[in-house]
Amino acid sequence: MTLTRRTLHSIALLGALALGTAALPAWSQNSPSDLVIAQAFDPTSLWPNFNTASDEINAGALITEPLFWTDAATNTLQPVLALGYELVDPTTLLIKLREGVKFSNGEPFNADAVVASLTNFMNKDIAPAYGRYAGVFSGVEKVDDSTIKLTTAFAYPALELALGKVFIVPPAYWAEVGADGFGRAPIGTGPFVLGEWRRDDRIVMTRNADYWGEAPAGIERVIIRPVPDDIARAAGVEAGEFDIATNIPIANAAAIEAAGKTIIEVPSYRIFSLELSNLEKHPSPLHDKRVRQAVNYAIDKQGIIDGLFQSRAKPLHGQLLRDNQLGFNPDLQDYPYDPEKAKALLAEAGYPDGVEIEFRFPSGRYVQDQEVATAIAGMLEAVGIRPKLIQLEAGEFLRQLVNQELAPIGYVGLGPADDPDLQMSQYHSTWRYSYVNHPEIDRLVEAGASEMDRDKRDVIYRELSALMHEEASVAFLFQNVDLYATAPDVKGFLPRGDQLWTIYGVSVAN
Amino acid sequence: MAKYLLVRLLYVLPSLLGVLVICFFLTRLSGDPTYLFMPIDATDAALAAFRAKHGLDRSLPEQFFLFVGNLAQGDFGQSLRFGTPALELVFERLPATMELALATLLIAVLTGIPLGVISAYRRGRPIDVAIRYVAALGQSIPTFYWGIVSIIVLALWLRAFPTGGREGLTSLVLPATTLATTMMALIIRVTRSSMLNVIEQDYIRTARAKGQSEFLVITRHALGNSIIPVITVVALQFGVLLGGVVVTETVFSWPGVGRLAIQAIYARDFPVVQAVVLFFAVVFVFVNLLADLLYSVVDPRVRLK
Repeated sequence: MTLTRRTLHSIALLGALALGTAALPAWSQNSPSDLVIAQAFDPTSLWPNFNTASDEINAGALITEPLFWTDAATNTLQPVLALGYELVDPTTLLIKLREGVKFSNGEPFNADAVVASLTNFMNKDIAPAYGRYAGVFSGVEKVDDSTIKLTTAFAYPALELALGKVFIVPPAYWAEVGADGFGRAPIGTGPFVLGEWRRDDRIVMTRNADYWGEAPAGIERVIIRPVPDDIARAAGVEAGEFDIATNIPIANAAAIEAAGKTIIEVPSYRIFSLELSNLEKHPSPLHDKRVRQAVNYAIDKQGIIDGLFQSRAKPLHGQLLRDNQLGFNPDLQDYPYDPEKAKALLAEAGYPDGVEIEFRFPSGRYVQDQEVATAIAGMLEAVGIRPKLIQLEAGEFLRQLVNQELAPIGYVGLGPADDPDLQMSQYHSTWRYSYVNHPEIDRLVEAGASEMDRDKRDVIYRELSALMHEEASVAFLFQNVDLYATAPDVKGFLPRGDQLWTIYGVSVAN
Repeated sequence: MAKYLLVRLLYVLPSLLGVLVICFFLTRLSGDPTYLFMPIDATDAALAAFRAKHGLDRSLPEQFFLFVGNLAQGDFGQSLRFGTPALELVFERLPATMELALATLLIAVLTGIPLGVISAYRRGRPIDVAIRYVAALGQSIPTFYWGIVSIIVLALWLRAFPTGGREGLTSLVLPATTLATTMMALIIRVTRSSMLNVIEQDYIRTARAKGQSEFLVITRHALGNSIIPVITVVALQFGVLLGGVVVTETVFSWPGVGRLAIQAIYARDFPVVQAVVLFFAVVFVFVNLLADLLYSVVDPRVRLK
């Protein structure tokens, strides 16, 4: 087909048609009181303690409620089904429960329900994904109908983190249906009850008329739509089919904003770095601190943030803790991008002709992982660190990471729960996927994990961050930013950096 | 006829068994699924519990014989992700996929055959050139790309259809047309070349000579005699269609078996992968059997023995 004037006219016509329709109404006429949320996955279970995937917990938490919840806006632990807790001694706490609350099947919410739920939570066969948190608790007993006593195995400063993970289920119903049955048809105390669940298509939840708390204003139904394709999800929210869409690709954000929607940027708990192994089983030039520092100087962090993330990522300030986290050390700065210094350090370490090192990275595990790894490889190459690139499928990547095989250099984005201990203990020499072996780092990690005084902990982690910076224990890269899109009439939607959100405080102006 | 069917069905069994064996060991080659299911900071006890629960701590031959033994009783095993029987998950999503596949087939056949006939009848004319361009495009552009383009143009810009989901006929249009393009293109090409052969035959001249209308000459005499290769191609390409289902269902968030398959593959949900693969194999085999039966319907000279 040759390009004639006629074909040009038709192309122009099609273009004009496309532009002229930008103001068309949304296709699907959802009721204004429906809150339609598009996320990547259909939950496998609606029991929030079944696994730790955010898409599952978020959907399940509309029906089943936790004792406490760490609120995204204030970053503090807020009581939900609990009224509060009191630390009687470093390993015993009393939790006061809300009274007069009922599950939607009529079962009463009380100490028995909480004891039963905590017992499930602590059972590794029932809730294996939460073993890390459950291991903190050693026992639970009823004091009276609205009080329970929880004992911990040791004094643990990040106790609140574990408290915010426990969701409460009705014990009689649970006994009848079990974990799998509950995951398919949950009953809770929450603001919504399960209506219809068409697998991989939609979950329809309707308002719990007897909800004990303040119901989200203007929302009669919540409809969860699993939309696996990022571009399709972004197109759907842009076209007005969804009120909220999660995991928006950076490339689509501008068009969605131009269509009058709101883009919410949430700094993620996910911190990206290069593991630079100095473990005995991974002999490499990286055992020399100067080579690790050279890697840090060689990488243009800001260049990656601006070039690959359109500035929708954050620099790290030369440490792994985020700037709003306990233990953040304000005296530290990112290693500047200084290729000459990197070359000089390499030469000083005895590698004037450079070194060759294996560099392992995932493909399809993180946003633009291949692109970032390729960019870094080029920067390393430029200073004489010749990376041998090994690209890994997501599952194999995880296997290697967890088994300390992602070495000597590995590109990782670790998103531990929001406490410096969970971040830093990943670098203790005995941690399953630690690539750092340094006695002083071990000592400080242990000190931070057992110090109950907040100010003293702060000091410990500052010291630890300074040490890891000086040691260049990892190459500090950047912090992810999660993007969400919401319709303009949706208010109060604020996810946390671990991609968890709750419906509390969300409203729709009809 | 009945004997023919029985023999054909017996031939099918070894192929399906082969599919199963290959599928079982290929999926296991991808590695231990435990790390994909459990959080990265899961305790060793939790990892061990997960493996024990799903029999992943047993040796591979042991796992295989257990699997075959259960299969003999119609049990495909429990999904690692859902904890429900794998086959149940497939059947749950079957109606959506059937709906999509039938609509696709309908669109492809109803557009492909007429376009192929016109193309052959008007050989060398502009309309023939245009149709051949359409066919070339349809065959060369990958399904996922068609999908994304149709979402952006038809759903986002023109708001003619929803971007995805499964609610009513309107939501079927985009995925079905997307999936139909490849097959339509193929049908056009096969119909065209088969027709070109037939319309030069003596009996076509005879039909015209006895004064039959041109429409009847083409539809009854020419098309009727050129349809067998088309049936063969459609049947053989059914496998490609099933492959397309995996992509299309994901792009359009269509809740079918294809999407279940891709999720199961990524998650290394072995029992579900096995159930889906076997299911697809069965469908493929039966569609081809159906095609063979159709031969005898459209061409009475074909006798099934």
